[in-house]
Amino acid sequence: MAGKRAAKQYQDERPAAPDGAAAVVLPADCRLAAQAALQAELVAALERGADVALDASAVERVDTAALQLLVLLRRELGSRDGALAWRGASAAFNEAAGLLGLARILELPAAGPA
Amino acid sequence: MATVDLTQFHKTFFEESLEGLDAMEAALLALDSGSTDHELVHTIFRAAHSIKGGAATFGFADVAAFTHVAESLLEEVRSERRGVDAELIDLLLRSVDCLRAMLARSSSGQPAADADSEALRGELLRLASGEAVAAPAAAAPGVASATGWAIRFVALPHLLQTGNDPLRLFRELEQLGRLEVRRAFVLDSAPARLAELDPSQCHLGWELRLHGAVARGDVDAVFDWLDGDCELVIESLPGETSATAADPVAMAAPATAPVPAAAPPPACETATVSAASGEGSSIRVDIDKVDALINMMGELVITQSMLSDIGENFRPSQLERLREGLLQLERTTRELQESVMRIRMLPIGSVFNRFPRLVRDLERKLGKQVRLELHGEHTELDKTVLEKIGDPLVHLVRNAIDHGLELPAQRKAAGKPETGTLRLNAYHEGGNIVVQISDDGAGLNRAAIMAKAQQRGLLGAGEEPSDAEVAELIFQPGFSTAAQATDLSGRGVGMDVVRRNVRDLGGSVGVKSEVGKGSVFTIALPLTLAIIDGLVTAVGEERYIVPLTSIVESLRLGAEAVRRIAGGGEVFHFRGEYLPLMRLHRAFGCADAVTEIERGIVVVIEDAGRRVGLLVDDLLGQQQAVIKSLEKHYRRVQGVSGATILSDGSVALIVDVGGVVRLGLRAKAA
Repeated sequence: MAGKRAAKQYQDERPAAPDGAAAVVLPADCRLAAQAALQAELVAALERGADVALDASAVERVDTAALQLLVLLRRELGSRDGALAWRGASAAFNEAAGLLGLARILELPAAGPA
Repeated sequence: MATVDLTQFHKTFFEESLEGLDAMEAALLALDSGSTDHELVHTIFRAAHSIKGGAATFGFADVAAFTHVAESLLEEVRSERRGVDAELIDLLLRSVDCLRAMLARSSSGQPAADADSEALRGELLRLASGEAVAAPAAAAPGVASATGWAIRFVALPHLLQTGNDPLRLFRELEQLGRLEVRRAFVLDSAPARLAELDPSQCHLGWELRLHGAVARGDVDAVFDWLDGDCELVIESLPGETSATAADPVAMAAPATAPVPAAAPPPACETATVSAASGEGSSIRVDIDKVDALINMMGELVITQSMLSDIGENFRPSQLERLREGLLQLERTTRELQESVMRIRMLPIGSVFNRFPRLVRDLERKLGKQVRLELHGEHTELDKTVLEKIGDPLVHLVRNAIDHGLELPAQRKAAGKPETGTLRLNAYHEGGNIVVQISDDGAGLNRAAIMAKAQQRGLLGAGEEPSDAEVAELIFQPGFSTAAQATDLSGRGVGMDVVRRNVRDLGGSVGVKSEVGKGSVFTIALPLTLAIIDGLVTAVGEERYIVPLTSIVESLRLGAEAVRRIAGGGEVFHFRGEYLPLMRLHRAFGCADAVTEIERGIVVVIEDAGRRVGLLVDDLLGQQQAVIKSLEKHYRRVQGVSGATILSDGSVALIVDVGGVVRLGLRAKAA
């Protein structure tokens, strides 16, 4: 729970992105250990704005659980007509999302030649 | 992603799997003999389960796929949905054999599956059909599907907690063929709000297509550890028949040559084998033995520090303490030596364990009834000896059942119980391990052996050899009296090979037989090949060590007791027989040795029932000798089996009793 609180504080200090979307930068290691904090960040982003912008360009390691978080984020956004925008995605992130067949659901912009 | 080199664990996996198979076999045989112990079924199931798990982890997909089917069948037995009958046990025993062969092939780098294993897998599948887990009957067993597979994979919530990430599974599938995710979907079990999600729970499902000629076994292997963690349906792709039509041969061939698509083609089989067979052998040691060693080591260190303490400033008054310390050092060293040797010692039970199966198979094949008695399974012997004694023992057991024990009807006619008894007994005797194989069958057929010997010119027409001499004849090369050679024994490559193998181990084999009562084969083996108890003898300036176990007696002879015979040989009278006398100084060319018989000592040694007297100058005492190979350090010398280093640092040669006896007998015959 400590992680959740810390994440929230961090979020509150951060200015909203220029386009009005709440921005979340995904950490380099998105695997299980980081997910409680990531989830808190995403939930906070959902609370703050109608739209959410994600930056996955620093992601080096990602697992199914992390992608599942994003899929559920996308679904919840969709249910209230919010939009999901991408500020960037690393090759590793694109590869994993593609392999699991989640790239389309996540509305990832088509990656360059993999 | 960090990868762990799994190949380092392969050896352990093979060893453990083989042990698991042994346990499986033993339990199956126990079930076969009518035991209803439910624990046996669990044992079999556990063994199959861990082999499957290991095989999947280490990438032996064929082995995993095979075991998976066997396991499904066993699961039915375990949950009492299926009864145990002879057919099932037979099938499972054959599966055990098949898995052994598959493991052997895997360990030498060849593809594990072959036509036999695939056929057997098919049989297992047919028996287990109705099982829905991952073996729909529609899938042709193990045969590569030319088109691909449709896979529906739905995670159960706890999937991620088992450490199985679909991402990794999909990567493995990608290795097999072209993977296409037709649909990924969020399950209804997922909470509507992100905030309510437990990230460690998985709520996703996938519909996949795997395109390409992928063996079903390889697909199964990917999902192998996910039993109960997901819902899985795998079906062959019926729609894409274009590949099949283009290559009809591929469809016709699989029955004889399944194509493991994922495995690289065996470029050159012999090359692969030779590359992989350079394995170092290892041994698994009981932790108690290691603890004992560490204890000894501690003792040794204490003694050493005590001795160096005395040596530091020695006073004559401390002589008693010095003696005490040296005594302690000697005791500890000996115990340490024993503990170290014990590490190499394994119970002979591991060899005995294969006999219940062998006996069962032979019983069926030959229509005989055999009761197998095993005694002394815990008798320990050196690993090297143990590994090499297996084949000779198997041969003797086969012989005993094939030739020794009679058919039930014959036994009844002879007034014996219809079930014959075969006893295997192992025990320590002196510095030897003795293994006896005894049966209560017909005994050696004296007339048949003599007829055969005469036919082969081993025996003159009028000769009447003693029973012992007749028994010796069966150890002659190419000697077989079987009226017709069965595929079990009697190909005439039997007993002489047994004797040679045993002799290579420094042991001996003999037989005692009584007509109508049965035969007893006795194998005597040295406890270890590394250390012998020897008698140190002096010959001139040299020291020779005679292995204690082969010494019959040492005696002083008068000059008149020795007779010269034609050809320059000498014999002497010993307990009712004439033995050849070998002057060691002459045989080995030693200077300044005692040449008069009455001043030297004659050591009578025995090898395989044949005796020779060795003339030496003197007996110096008994000592344990650590054998150093002469061949490795110098070259092979006739009559010498090795060398050792004596307490004064000089080198002594160890007399090769078998070789010397043969030399002596040749001299006598000359």
